[in-house]
Amino acid sequence: MGASAFTQRAHDALADPNLKTAIDRTTGTAETKRAAAVGAFPEFQAARARGAAIKDHVIANLDHYLVEFERNAQAAGAHVHWARDKAEAAEIVTRICKDADAKLVTRAKSMLGEEIGLPHALDDAGIERVETDLAEHIIQLAHERPSHIIWPAMHRTREDVATLFFKDHHPPPDADDPASMVASARRILREKFMSADVGISGANFLIADTGATCTVTNEGNAELSTTPPRVHIVTAGIEKLVPSTDHAMALLRLLVRSATGGEVTQYTTFHSGPKRPGDADGPEEMHIVLVDNGRSRMVGDEFRQMLRCIRCGACMNHCVVYRQIGGHAYGGTYPGPMGAVLTPVLDGLAQSRDLPHACTMNGRCEEVCPVQIPLKTLLKAWRVRSWDSQQEVGPLRMGLGLWGFAARRPRLYHFGTRLALPVMRLFGKGGWIRRMPFAGGWTDTRDLPKPAARSFMSQHANHGNEGPK
Amino acid sequence: MSARDDILAAVQKGLTQGQGGAVQRRNPDAIRAEAAQLLANLDEIRPDLAAGDPVDAFVAKCANPALGVTLDRVANWQALPRAVIAYLDQHDLPHRLSVSGDPRLDALTGIEAHQPCAPDEAAAISVADWGVAETGSVVIHSAPDQPILNAMLPRHWLVVVEEKKILPFLDDYATYAASRPRNAVLITGSSGTTDIEGFFVRGAHGPGFVHVLLVAG
Ligand code: SF4
Repeated sequence: MGASAFTQRAHDALADPNLKTAIDRTTGTAETKRAAAVGAFPEFQAARARGAAIKDHVIANLDHYLVEFERNAQAAGAHVHWARDKAEAAEIVTRICKDADAKLVTRAKSMLGEEIGLPHALDDAGIERVETDLAEHIIQLAHERPSHIIWPAMHRTREDVATLFFKDHHPPPDADDPASMVASARRILREKFMSADVGISGANFLIADTGATCTVTNEGNAELSTTPPRVHIVTAGIEKLVPSTDHAMALLRLLVRSATGGEVTQYTTFHSGPKRPGDADGPEEMHIVLVDNGRSRMVGDEFRQMLRCIRCGACMNHCVVYRQIGGHAYGGTYPGPMGAVLTPVLDGLAQSRDLPHACTMNGRCEEVCPVQIPLKTLLKAWRVRSWDSQQEVGPLRMGLGLWGFAARRPRLYHFGTRLALPVMRLFGKGGWIRRMPFAGGWTDTRDLPKPAARSFMSQHANHGNEGPK
Repeated sequence: MSARDDILAAVQKGLTQGQGGAVQRRNPDAIRAEAAQLLANLDEIRPDLAAGDPVDAFVAKCANPALGVTLDRVANWQALPRAVIAYLDQHDLPHRLSVSGDPRLDALTGIEAHQPCAPDEAAAISVADWGVAETGSVVIHSAPDQPILNAMLPRHWLVVVEEKKILPFLDDYATYAASRPRNAVLITGSSGTTDIEGFFVRGAHGPGFVHVLLVAG
C-alpha cells in the first residue's frame, strides 16, 4: 500500500454516502449502548486499571504462561501447534483439514483467522468454507473483507444485505426486514453446521491453568461450528493468554460492555480438548494453533502495550476518522486506531505509514479503551519511526521543513500568515470554503472554515493594547 | 529450531533485552502470587448484584427484556411437568420435547420425550449445572447426559435450574471450570444478532426463546 493507495481509498470512502449511512447507523448505536453499560457499572474505571494490570502481568510472563497453557491443553487431549507467521499458521490449518479429509469447513468469526489469510488459504486448498457469523456470511456473499472487528459487515446497509440474500438464498427473505433476513440465514447455515467435517474458531482468551480456549458470541455460531464436526481447530494469537478463568471473567466484564454494551454475551464458551468418553456430542479431535506473527517482536519494542488489546472495537466506534472513512480504507486486517498501530507491525511500516498519520490525536480512543492502551502515544511512536526512516514523501518533508524554518523566525511567520489569510478569504462564502486551488484533498469532500477577519496573533496584539497596563 | 522454540526464545529475548528495559524474571511461585494479587478485592472491579439475595438477583436479571428470556418459579421437581406443559401450551407447541438425558427429566409425565435434538427441533429441555446471579446466566457442562446441541438447536429451549445452584458472581462459577469439561457454556438469554445495522434480532443461530424453570426445592 503506497501513500496514494490509502489516500485514494479514503477519498473513495468519503465520496460514498451509502457507506457513511451504514457506518453511522451501527457506530451510533454502539456508542450509545456502551455509554449506558459503562454508566451502569460504577466500578468501570477501577476494573479498567485492573484489566490493564492483568494483561501487563501476562505479557511480562508470557513464556511461562504459554508453556503452562500448552501443558494443560495437551493434558485435556488437545494438539498444540505453534506458528511463527501467518503463512505457517495457514499452512498448519489447511494440513489438519486435509488430513481429516475435510470437504466442508465451518468457520466462526475470528480476526486472527483474517490476519493469517485463512479464508484464502482454505479456498486455494479447494475446501468449501462456510462463514457462520451472520456478518461474515454477508461479506462472504459480497466477496469482501471485514470492515470492523465486531461488526464485520458494518459498511453494508440492510438494503445491501437484502440484495445479497435475494441472489443467494432460496427462497429469498423479505427485503427491508432484518428479522426475515436473519431467519433466512439461519435456515441456510443450519444445514452447513450439521454436515461440516471441520469447525474453526478463534479465541477471546486462552486459559493457562485449564488449557481451555474461550469464545464469546451472541449468535451461538461458535458452539454450532465446533460441536457437530469431527475436528475442531482453534487459531489464536499468543497474547490471548490469561492466568485463569477468574482473570478471564474480570476481562470479560470489560470486553462485552465496551464492544456491544451488554454485560456478557449470550454465549461464553470454554472449549477444552475433544469429546470425552461417553459424552453426548463433541469433536473427536481438537487442535490449537498458537500464532506469533509479529507479537514476540512487540514484547521487546515500544509497542508492547498494544498486546493488551482485547479486540473490543470501542476505539474505532469512537474514532472520528474511522466514522468518516470506514474500515476498508485502512487496507489492513484491523482498522481504526488499534489497526493503525497494529498494521505497521503486521504488514510493515513501508506498506502502511499513512495510517498513524491519519489521526486527529483527539484521544477519544484511549479514553474508551477498556485496557488503557495509550493509543495516541503508540501512534506518535510510529510517526517518529516513519520520519526517522525517511519514509515521508518529498512534499511533506519539504512543507514541514519550510514551516519549521518560518516558525523559528516570528517576523517571517507573521508576514506569511498576513499574506495567506486574505487570499484564503477570497475563496470563502458564508463562512466556509468549498473549493480552493491546491486544497482539493480537503475541499473535495468537506468544507474548510473561512478564516476570521483577523489572525489570532493580530487580535491578541490588539487585545494586549486594550487591556489594563 | 522448532517454531515453538523460536517463539519462546523471541519472547524471552523481548522481555530481557527489550528496548523498554529488562522485565524482572520471576519463578513460578512468584508469578502465581502476583496473579492471585490481581484478583484481590473483587468487589472493587465488579458490579453489585441486582438484589441482596442471589436468587432474587438472578430472577431480577432474567426479567430484563434485553435478555429475551422468560422465567417461571417452580415449587419442586414434582411440579415441573405441569410448568413445562403450561409453557408448551402457551406457545401452541405439541407436547413433544428433545430431552438432554438427565435422569431428573425422566419423570416428565404427559410429554413425549426423545433424543437427540433434531436440527429443526421445536423445543428441547436441559438441566443447567449452575445459574449466575450477576448476569442471569445458566451454565451447562458437556457430559453424557448434557448434550451441548440440545441447548443450541431448538427454537425454544427450556432450562431447569435449582435455586440452590444459583451462584452470586461470575467469579464464583470460575472455580467450577477447573473440572474441565469438553465444553462449559454460559448462556445468557436467547441467541441474537446486531449484525444488520445494529438492529437486535432474536434467534440468530441458537434458540430464539429461552425459558428458565427455577426449581425451589
Ligand atoms: S485498542 Fe482498546 S479499544 Fe481498541 S480494540 Fe483494543 S482493547 Fe478495544
